[in-house]
Amino acid sequence: MRLNMLDIKDLFFSVPDRDASDGGSMRTIINGINFTFEKGKFYTITGPNGSGKTTLAKLIMGINPVTSGEIFFEGKNITDLSITDRARTGISYSFQQPARFKGLTFRDLLAMASGTDEEAKLLALIRRVGICSLSFLDKPVDSKLSGGEIKKIELATTIARNPKLAIYDEPDTGIDLWTIGPMVKLLKRERAEHQTTTVVVSHNRAFLEAADIVLLLNQGRLAYVGNLKGALPMLTDLSICSYKECVSQDDVRCFR
Amino acid sequence: MLDALDKNLLRTVADLEGIPKGAYNIRKNGKLLAREVSANINIETNVEGTGIIVTIKPGTVNESVHIPVILSQAGLYDVVYNHFIVGEGSDVTIIAGCGIHCGGLDPEGHAGIHEFHIGRKAKVTYVEKHFATGPGRGKRTLNPTTKIFLAEGSQAEMELTQIGGVDEANRTNEATLGPNSVLLVTERVMTDGDQRAVSKNEIILSGENSRANMISRSVMKGNSKQTFYATMDALAKCFGHIECDAIIIDNGTNETVPALKARHPDAELTHEASIGKIASDQLTKLMSLGLTYDEAVNRIIQGFLR
Repeated sequence: MRLNMLDIKDLFFSVPDRDASDGGSMRTIINGINFTFEKGKFYTITGPNGSGKTTLAKLIMGINPVTSGEIFFEGKNITDLSITDRARTGISYSFQQPARFKGLTFRDLLAMASGTDEEAKLLALIRRVGICSLSFLDKPVDSKLSGGEIKKIELATTIARNPKLAIYDEPDTGIDLWTIGPMVKLLKRERAEHQTTTVVVSHNRAFLEAADIVLLLNQGRLAYVGNLKGALPMLTDLSICSYKECVSQDDVRCFR
Repeated sequence: MLDALDKNLLRTVADLEGIPKGAYNIRKNGKLLAREVSANINIETNVEGTGIIVTIKPGTVNESVHIPVILSQAGLYDVVYNHFIVGEGSDVTIIAGCGIHCGGLDPEGHAGIHEFHIGRKAKVTYVEKHFATGPGRGKRTLNPTTKIFLAEGSQAEMELTQIGGVDEANRTNEATLGPNSVLLVTERVMTDGDQRAVSKNEIILSGENSRANMISRSVMKGNSKQTFYATMDALAKCFGHIECDAIIIDNGTNETVPALKARHPDAELTHEASIGKIASDQLTKLMSLGLTYDEAVNRIIQGFLR
């Protein structure tokens, strides 16, 4: 039976346009998205830079307020809920650029995420995640951590929430090549064992291949929804110009 | 002996549940309340009767000495001059601290002037906590001064904390480092309401290969204000670092003035300083773990001041 985990209805998100000369116009980042995420499925959201992937993920978590539209989680309208309330209702979020703290350790974050500070339970969590060494536990989550280490910690705190819906914004940034495979396996295993609805924002082929459904965003709209095979022609096309519509052959960015 | 109020103050400033083990000197309302010496640690009142001299025998290891001060007498401003002579090769912990309980309108205050002479290759951990409480509106003042002289190869680790309730604090820390000596200072100050705190630090790296690291963590709540000065004066080949971070909550204000003086061509001095509100990405992260906004602020501050 299909169970709706998250319903997005007529979702719009606009910000004041900094480039506009009149100062009053708005730039639309998310331009009317309707979509239903089903329980226990693996979704990968991809698309060119600036297409609205991270913004969409942040709207779901409540980090950005929606301009218009509604979001339902397990049938309940969560559009006006705070980040805290969304977290408590079962949504968990991995940041693309995780926050760094002076004075907080991985243990502190893991304890907050899991609601326990029992050593045995924390170690069990690290084993479950697998990609962090047990010796990570007392590492300060500060600016001394490498980009890869902090992303592993971020992933662990996301899973430690035991979420119904887990959102990972570019989880592979800064991660070494040898860890990406185990990371994909981990998210698949979490999905299989805990029926976690998994949403990954990524350009990485490994996550695109892992997905049941690929969502391709372009200019704030869903340009494609389906399997990876069907998305490939569009992905190739969009990758020619990943910044904006190319109307002129003189724009060097169109050839990147 | 100790009443409930005294016990509360002692627990807060010295982590003591009662009378400590080992050497100690407890001063209450300007007078000696209790003293104990050990085979290796002697405590005696100085000639002028204005403070104590703590003498630690060379080679004393894994011993500690507690010297808390508690005040609960309205209108008293207690000044003490304490000397610490730490013998060569010893490794000891000194726990100082001042707790004020203010019950009335009259001001209460304490100025502890502490001078340390740390012998060759000796290691000292010095922990000092300041705290004031009580229902009275009398002004609570704490003006500590710490002077420290580090002989060759010695090491001092100083943790200086002002937890709360102190209306006015003027702190002075001075250190002179001999060859191969190491100084680590961590100062944590939280102010609230209309409280004011000033900290002046002067660290002189005079010996070759001496190293100093000064870390300051400040939190200003309410309308409180903190001012932090730190000077590292390098006279030899040495390494010095100042790290001062200040978090503003509400309408708090802060002035941070780090100064580096390299007066030797091989001196290496660095500093980093930041003042601002709690970063929004930190709050968002903790809220995404299920904490409310206020809980997130508290956890970040707790960690920051840890």
